[in-house]
Amino acid sequence: MARADDKRINEVPHGDRLNLSFEGDDVPACAGESVAVALFASGERVLSRSIKYHRPRGFFCLAGHCGACLMRIDGKPNVRACKTPVKEGMRVERQNAFPTGAFDVLGAADFFFPKGMDHHTMMTSPRALNAVLNKVVRQLGGLGKLPDVPASPAELPRPRHKHVDVVVVGGGPAGLGCATETARGGKKTLLVDEQDRVGGSLLAHPQHGVRAANEALAAALKAGVEVLSSSTVLAWYPEDAAVDGGEPGLLAVHTPEGLLKVTASRYVYATGSYDQNAVFVDNDRPGVLPARAVGRLLVRFGVKPAERPVVVGDGPYARALADALARAGAEVTRIDGRDEQIVAAHGHGWVRSVETTRRKKLKCDLVAVAALPAPASELPRQHGVAVAFNDGKGGFHCRVDDDGRANAPHVFACGDVTGFGGIDDAVSAGARCGRAVVASFSANGMGAGARA
Amino acid sequence: MSNKAIICRCEDVTLSDVQHTISLGYKSIEEVKRYTGLGTGPCEGKECMVHCARMVALANGGDESVVLPFTSRPPVQPVPLAIFARGEEE
Repeated sequence: MARADDKRINEVPHGDRLNLSFEGDDVPACAGESVAVALFASGERVLSRSIKYHRPRGFFCLAGHCGACLMRIDGKPNVRACKTPVKEGMRVERQNAFPTGAFDVLGAADFFFPKGMDHHTMMTSPRALNAVLNKVVRQLGGLGKLPDVPASPAELPRPRHKHVDVVVVGGGPAGLGCATETARGGKKTLLVDEQDRVGGSLLAHPQHGVRAANEALAAALKAGVEVLSSSTVLAWYPEDAAVDGGEPGLLAVHTPEGLLKVTASRYVYATGSYDQNAVFVDNDRPGVLPARAVGRLLVRFGVKPAERPVVVGDGPYARALADALARAGAEVTRIDGRDEQIVAAHGHGWVRSVETTRRKKLKCDLVAVAALPAPASELPRQHGVAVAFNDGKGGFHCRVDDDGRANAPHVFACGDVTGFGGIDDAVSAGARCGRAVVASFSANGMGAGARA
Repeated sequence: MSNKAIICRCEDVTLSDVQHTISLGYKSIEEVKRYTGLGTGPCEGKECMVHCARMVALANGGDESVVLPFTSRPPVQPVPLAIFARGEEE
């Protein structure tokens, strides 16, 4: 049964209705939604509490990157609600709260330490009191409680190994474009994407959306790309060989079927960028979201994110999102983030208004912050790719040439990970990088399948 | 009333925590991380490191070239240790 505050847009097709068990109550969900999206669409707000001050936490990035939506799901702690697909009867609980997530007495920590607390100067004397407080802190601290059932090593799948000509990490516009080119060039190509639905930032953009993502994916599949979704590349291990006697260096991939060790002749990082927040008082209130998370709700999931949203930012994405929210019937207020900036958010379990440099009180039920996303350069950094800090490019971006060649041998990078550029840049950079990858095989006199 | 602007959501590290740390003379991301816990939560710095980098660059006279990221260590996403627990041999 739909609730009165159900936010799913009727004109958009949704998956079959099912029910989650959220803290013991039935909450409606639709197949294809993640737990975080289903709870939001059904009107739930606070998903957990923060670790130190026990401030309320809702989801933030909605892309599996931040730590805001960790919940206890089917008896397992610290599961990302935004990356867990809903299932009938799934048991979902808030964590880090005492006695319950809805009413958390530990939230008093936030009240009693309005300016914060420096743990370097706390609880050091007298020693006996320190020992007692340590015990208390250990009971209260930490993320979540142990699982209901311990993992059984015997049931774990054995690690597998796969070797390809080209592995592309990330299935957004850059990665899809690159993989399509390398496959067309005759190279055995594997594309790994952490989301259950491939498309990356296309799925958050009102002018691209599900159809553009499906078209890019279809082109990649038609070219012969093997696509591995719901699979996260965890690390580059430079010293480990995937097989006995093999050359060292492998990517560890967490797939639904267990650990997969991937080796390739060429490695392409198209890992995109992480959404960022703006800095203002109480900027961590649930409902203060990155613009792309709001875009994902609307574009991918067909959920109306808010009735009175504030969109912060003056770039093309902020504009596109504000227009799309208005088309969905929302009363949108835009703040450029330069001449007018947010000073503080108000509201506790969800944002209710903001104070800006120009306005004392601007009522709202959501804040969409279009800050410059930060290049997701951790994996290429592990692989020896040089990065540089550049505020104008969003953070630590991979330093590559025009065709995506990195300083590390056989490694390429393209798209936002080389400095935020948005979708159109990513599409062209991906295709250019893919052609350079194909060309690099013949330049080195190596055929397909040759081990780098 | 709360007066906290959060830089690191995972570990509840505030803007004033980072400002205080830098005022103590810790002018690199790595030092701020070790003093405040910034970047040591489940997101591993994906949301906070760039904010910290900007502040560290300012503390170094606006010089972006001296700002170094955390060492990136496996795994880049939290994962149940169980998936690494089983070897290949029976």
